Amino acid sequence: MSEKTIWDKIAEFDIRWIYLLTIILIVIPVVHPLGIPIRVSKPVKDFYKTIDELPPGSVVAVSFRGSLGLLDEQEAQFLALWKILFQRDLKVIFYSPTADGEIILDMHLGKKVRPEDYGKKYGIDYVRLGYAPIGEPGEAAFALDIRSIFPTDYKGTPLDEIPMMKNINSWKDIDLLIFQYTACTDVEIVIRQWVVPYNMTVLTMTLGCCGPMTAPYYPKMIKGFLSGSIAGAELEIIGGVPGPGAAMTDAKNLGIFGLIVSLILGNLAYWGRRLSKEGGE
Amino acid sequence: MAEVFIKRDLPLALIFIIGILVIIEFFFPHPALSAIKAELGTWTVIIANVSIFLGLFYMSYAQYRMLQRQKTLSGYIYFITPFVALCLFFIGAAFPGYTSSPQYQWLYQNIYRAQVAMYVSLPLFYCYYAAYRAFRIRSIEALALMLGGLLYTFRQIPLFTYLCPPLHPIGEWVLLVPNVAGGRGAVICVALASIVVGLRTLVGKEVTTIEVR
Amino acid sequence: MSASFWEILGIWVAAFFTFSVLSFLWKDNPYFKFGQQFIVGVVVAHNILFAMKSVYDNAVIPIMTQGRWTLIIPIILGVLMYTRLHRDYAWASKYPTAVLVGTGTGVMVTGILRGQIIDQAKMTVLDVFKSSNPVDIFNGIIILIGVLTSISFFIFTKEHKGPLGISAKIGRIFLMISLGANWSGETVWYLTQMTGRVMFLWHDWIKRAILGIG
Repeated sequence: MSEKTIWDKIAEFDIRWIYLLTIILIVIPVVHPLGIPIRVSKPVKDFYKTIDELPPGSVVAVSFRGSLGLLDEQEAQFLALWKILFQRDLKVIFYSPTADGEIILDMHLGKKVRPEDYGKKYGIDYVRLGYAPIGEPGEAAFALDIRSIFPTDYKGTPLDEIPMMKNINSWKDIDLLIFQYTACTDVEIVIRQWVVPYNMTVLTMTLGCCGPMTAPYYPKMIKGFLSGSIAGAELEIIGGVPGPGAAMTDAKNLGIFGLIVSLILGNLAYWGRRLSKEGGE
Repeated sequence: MAEVFIKRDLPLALIFIIGILVIIEFFFPHPALSAIKAELGTWTVIIANVSIFLGLFYMSYAQYRMLQRQKTLSGYIYFITPFVALCLFFIGAAFPGYTSSPQYQWLYQNIYRAQVAMYVSLPLFYCYYAAYRAFRIRSIEALALMLGGLLYTFRQIPLFTYLCPPLHPIGEWVLLVPNVAGGRGAVICVALASIVVGLRTLVGKEVTTIEVR
Repeated sequence: MSASFWEILGIWVAAFFTFSVLSFLWKDNPYFKFGQQFIVGVVVAHNILFAMKSVYDNAVIPIMTQGRWTLIIPIILGVLMYTRLHRDYAWASKYPTAVLVGTGTGVMVTGILRGQIIDQAKMTVLDVFKSSNPVDIFNGIIILIGVLTSISFFIFTKEHKGPLGISAKIGRIFLMISLGANWSGETVWYLTQMTGRVMFLWHDWIKRAILGIG
């Protein structure tokens, strides 16, 4: 029986050691933050710039399709966004096409980010329309007539009785749509139902894995986008609104080494065995 | 003949009529057509919500089938667990505030969020396992996959851009140039296929969309 | 600030379910299965509760306060969906499905042509000429070549030989780079989620619930 080469031993390496290494590498910066600075990328700069350049009194609609299970990835993004929106003289409409989105708004809006701290009043400066499971047809209907999907706000008050909503009826009265989503193909909904028919100015916020799928529409159709928790940290920096993004981004600095080690070991074993076999022949 | 018309042809005709109305509205946005389109959008929301209890029926049936396969103590525990969870959350929503009540949010935050967040975290280890077992750089395509992946990864992890600052613009270039090139090609081809399937659905060639098994 | 009893209990419950999922890394086990069955019930309950509220807000209230009697039709159609549970009457559920499919297909098809084909093609060509900066022109040319070659990869009616073969091979490389970027985004997303769970276990479970710090 031939002796095992170093390449055979690498090929038989127990992957659970890499799992353990990964967990240790994730724990270290959580317990002892590293404090590594973050650079702001172009899509985030354009995202912020689009909001910053809105004239006072502009109407911003936020389509909030959050998921509670994915809060770790997205929390920094929307907390920073809400602070930036409330710092400015804007009218903000929140609507939730997902049930989780509504729960997150219940949990965070008014608690982690308090509009009143920015001098904003409900019904005058911002409104929550509530939840309706609107897929693409519902989004199309919302754009045409807001009251066809949301006749009342989340408390049951008819929209016509809310001062802010008196003159806001459809896409014509909205200056900016911020489309937050977690299913990567949902970007096509905003393209098809807002950008194509009405040439609406759109910004998107999504998970890190959906960023590459959003890039083909940037910057002509989508003026700026946030992708992943690092984008949330970047928005905190550029907007000057500290939040949980910096700590989260700092904490994942070392965990990726597990992937690099796996790639190196796997390819070392493969190429080492192959080249040593060819060398032997 | 009438039976076939009512059970098959009329629903397909309905798909065509509704679809054409919506398409015509896009090209000729007359207020009446826009109102019909908005109304149809509302209808889809209401239909989806009214039929939500189908989920409960299917869940119950799946649990029943699972119990038939495993009639042990653990089988009975697994059978009853979803219904216990269901009742717990209904009780939580019975408090003032419905799903906005602190009780409901306590349940949802500590049970649902904890589990789903963990479910989404587990694939990290499977990614590492796949990288170790299957990711072999033995072709130019594999090299392209790895380079695209690693360069974009380095852009997302501040440690790498701190140690090697050029990695940030390089990663951004990968995202905004070659990724857009490949992604746009895929988007165009998928869109062409979607139009074909959509038109086939409208003219009744794709009957699987409304078939009931 | 000391945590209340319910906060601490909540942290322990969350930690219980967190470990139930994590235990799957070792192997499939009853602890994991229990958590799995529990979440099934949670998700069904959650969706039912929100759906009921949505029907009340979107249908019942407009009918009773605004006289929108046309909304009775989708309620009836939604009820018809339940006929699919019985083989003899399942055909009736095709009607509400037809409304859903017809509306969905109509809104999708109208937006796709311009948004995902014409405008994408326009952007690809115009990007080459959008500025006089050599870097922008170079990037624009790369994108143009990449889009054309990756489209050629999807031509399956002709064998990939000769010029088409070379074009498809180049297109495949661009598609692989795009896939690599997507895969990287996913991996970092999973890493973020795992980091979030570790942060919860460290800051909330260990420090607050067990050690009583913070």
